[in-house]
Amino acid sequence: MPGGTEEKEFKSIAEEIMGKIRRSLEDPAGYMRRRKSERRQKVVGWLLTDIPEELIHAAGALPFGITGGREEHSRSDAHLQNWACSMARSCLDMGLQGKLSFLDGLLIPHICDTTRNLGGIWRHARPLAMMENYLLPRQTRPSAKTYLVGELGRLKARLERCTGSEITAGKLSESISLYNWNRRLLRKLFGLHGEKPGLLSNRAIYDIIKSSLFIPKEEHNELLQELIDHLTGETAGDGRNTGHVRLALSGKVCDPPEIMDALDACGAVVVADDLATGQRYISAEAPETGDPIEALAQRQLSRIPCACFDTGETDRRRFLTDLIKASGAAGLIFLHLKYCEPENFDYPDMRAAVEAAGIPCLRLETDIGGVSQGQLETRLQAFVEMIKGGTDVDRPAAL
Amino acid sequence: MTDRPPFKTAGLLKKLMSDYYAGGNRAREKGIPLVWVTAVFPVEIVYAAGLFPYYPENFGALAAARKLAHVLSVRAEARGYSFDLCGYARCGIGDSCAGEHPAGEIERPDMVFCCNTQCGSLPKWFQSAARFYGVPYFLLDSPMIEGASTTLGRDYFVAQLKEMIDFIEISTGRAFDFGRLAEVMALSTETCRLWNEILDTAALRPAPFGFFDACFHMAPIVTMRGTREAVWYYRELKKELESRMAGKIHAVPGERHKIYWDHIPVWPKLRWFSEYFSGRGALVAASQYTHSWTYSFDTSRPLESLAENYTGAYINRSFEQRVQMKINFINRYGLDGFVLFSNRSCKPNSFGLYDKQKVISRRTGLPGVVIEGDMSDLRFFSEEQVKQRLDVFIEQLEKGGETQDKKQGGGIVWK
Repeated sequence: MPGGTEEKEFKSIAEEIMGKIRRSLEDPAGYMRRRKSERRQKVVGWLLTDIPEELIHAAGALPFGITGGREEHSRSDAHLQNWACSMARSCLDMGLQGKLSFLDGLLIPHICDTTRNLGGIWRHARPLAMMENYLLPRQTRPSAKTYLVGELGRLKARLERCTGSEITAGKLSESISLYNWNRRLLRKLFGLHGEKPGLLSNRAIYDIIKSSLFIPKEEHNELLQELIDHLTGETAGDGRNTGHVRLALSGKVCDPPEIMDALDACGAVVVADDLATGQRYISAEAPETGDPIEALAQRQLSRIPCACFDTGETDRRRFLTDLIKASGAAGLIFLHLKYCEPENFDYPDMRAAVEAAGIPCLRLETDIGGVSQGQLETRLQAFVEMIKGGTDVDRPAAL
Repeated sequence: MTDRPPFKTAGLLKKLMSDYYAGGNRAREKGIPLVWVTAVFPVEIVYAAGLFPYYPENFGALAAARKLAHVLSVRAEARGYSFDLCGYARCGIGDSCAGEHPAGEIERPDMVFCCNTQCGSLPKWFQSAARFYGVPYFLLDSPMIEGASTTLGRDYFVAQLKEMIDFIEISTGRAFDFGRLAEVMALSTETCRLWNEILDTAALRPAPFGFFDACFHMAPIVTMRGTREAVWYYRELKKELESRMAGKIHAVPGERHKIYWDHIPVWPKLRWFSEYFSGRGALVAASQYTHSWTYSFDTSRPLESLAENYTGAYINRSFEQRVQMKINFINRYGLDGFVLFSNRSCKPNSFGLYDKQKVISRRTGLPGVVIEGDMSDLRFFSEEQVKQRLDVFIEQLEKGGETQDKKQGGGIVWK
């Protein structure tokens, strides 16, 4: 157990790392613009979810996962109906404001009808040097694998042209190892956060994951390793004794991040999720043997279920209930971006399945750069209190 | 549309469609699987396999046209389905789970087939239906085509067609009959050819037929292409159009303007729109929606040809290609302006229209307008607001002068 000075030292180091991460999250675009000039590398942006960043990295560019800004996104109204989700509107708005003009390229995955149209609008309104849709398969039968290998090949060629640097099998394999290592460290941290809720707040662990979408992986791995070294051995808390309520999240993103602050404030610890800025990102390792393009295809087709794809055999309802049980979560919060059609379609059946398993649920419709903070805190607090008290779920409020 | 005599074929259509729906019941009695399919789906395979195809989207359109969408939707909403979802899906889900069926009952499927060329809503709706009914679900995945169609995309779709045929063979216990497929594809091509000849009469000045007529007569091209009955029906309709032309019966009495409409109609307001435009001497002559069924198959390479036709739909194309397709319609039909419908139920058709309006106007010099609404649910439609926008548009059209003064015909010759 660390003594007084050691504890102080631990705190200052952990705080220093978290400070770096938080600062980068205040303005990720500004951060990337600076990194671009420091490192003299090209930057290729990408929108959520499932973009194979390893290809961007192996092409010698810095990948930048864009998850929207914090400001109003009224500029996008002239181009995109306000019944598009705030993620799409906010990202487009950043582009329209010129905040992304430093990008050398942008990859948009076709995961829904909004991302399907977004690239065309963006290219028309504010073109970048390279803009590509990643046309990933939406099913997982054998035909999907062959196609996906071809599609990844097409993307590879586009990225090579963008950076002027060949993506050799060797370089791609190295990138895959580097990214896998990052995911392993993130999972380790996530595990620590669940086991010892006092060590890393919900806000901190999800901030760390979010920052991994753009802080160069080599550096991010160092930060994570250092953080892990300082956190392991700490006994600041043990989830099973601290009185924390263990919760799972389902959705695409946890935005605004103040949701996590609210969860921290009411004594909840998030122990599982299926978010694109959570487990969907950190669980997805690619095999490190065999052909690296095949490995990326394999990884894509074996990802955890999400609303945007037909995962065939893996029913998302079963996946969620299993996930909740395995993690020991006492409740589930659906975090749905308003107007997200894939989530809206999945929600009723998923909720029914989770409730049938005896797990209380809450649903919050979120807006990037929006949501009245007070109302949100009240609902989260009521939900957590309800679980603590073992009373009934808040069905009327959630529907 | 108000003063002209009704189409005689309307009676035939009614009979044809009630026979089609009765066919669903007969199929059930005989133990033939009833399968759900989407509107842009290689239904030729379903017909060739001897299965009965059912179109839930038609159910949605019908319920919407009968102004029942919100009634059904509220039931889906009570189950937790958001009113932000596609209106057809809300109608279908609302009817599936209710005891009463004010719009007729949606058919229970034995299998659910879906192609995502049109959108991402259909797969989600169909998959939720497959869960609800406890039946198998099969998705044909159609990647977007952004320039020329690629070998990669085509091969992927062909591979999936083979997977689907395999799936059907296992389900039915019968070998798939490729000879029958060729026959069905030939009938389908012929139906599409006739349908397009009929649509093209809207280019004549004045025209005997327009978009709102097409919305009425389109049921067989959607549900029955690939059958002899559909070919017969459109031959009859074509004959009737010939006699109406001879008798100088026009779609819009005193037609002065021709306009393009994008994309689907506002079903519960079909009559309102039709009367609004015809009352101002404007014929809505073309829409990408009714032109969706323009397939032409090469039966010597059936699967490749099905893949090319069904992945290549306009909606599965890039921004720029879709703009160009709209302009092509405008040129081909010699149109004077365009109305773009921002449809809250349909993101893939609607997102991008704000920019497209500006681009099309700039490139063609023609007036255009975007109207907001919903194809099925009147809770998302403000007649007053739409009328205000259309009035401004009509004023611009009037300033542009009459069609006949400016140009004669598009590139279309009536056969």
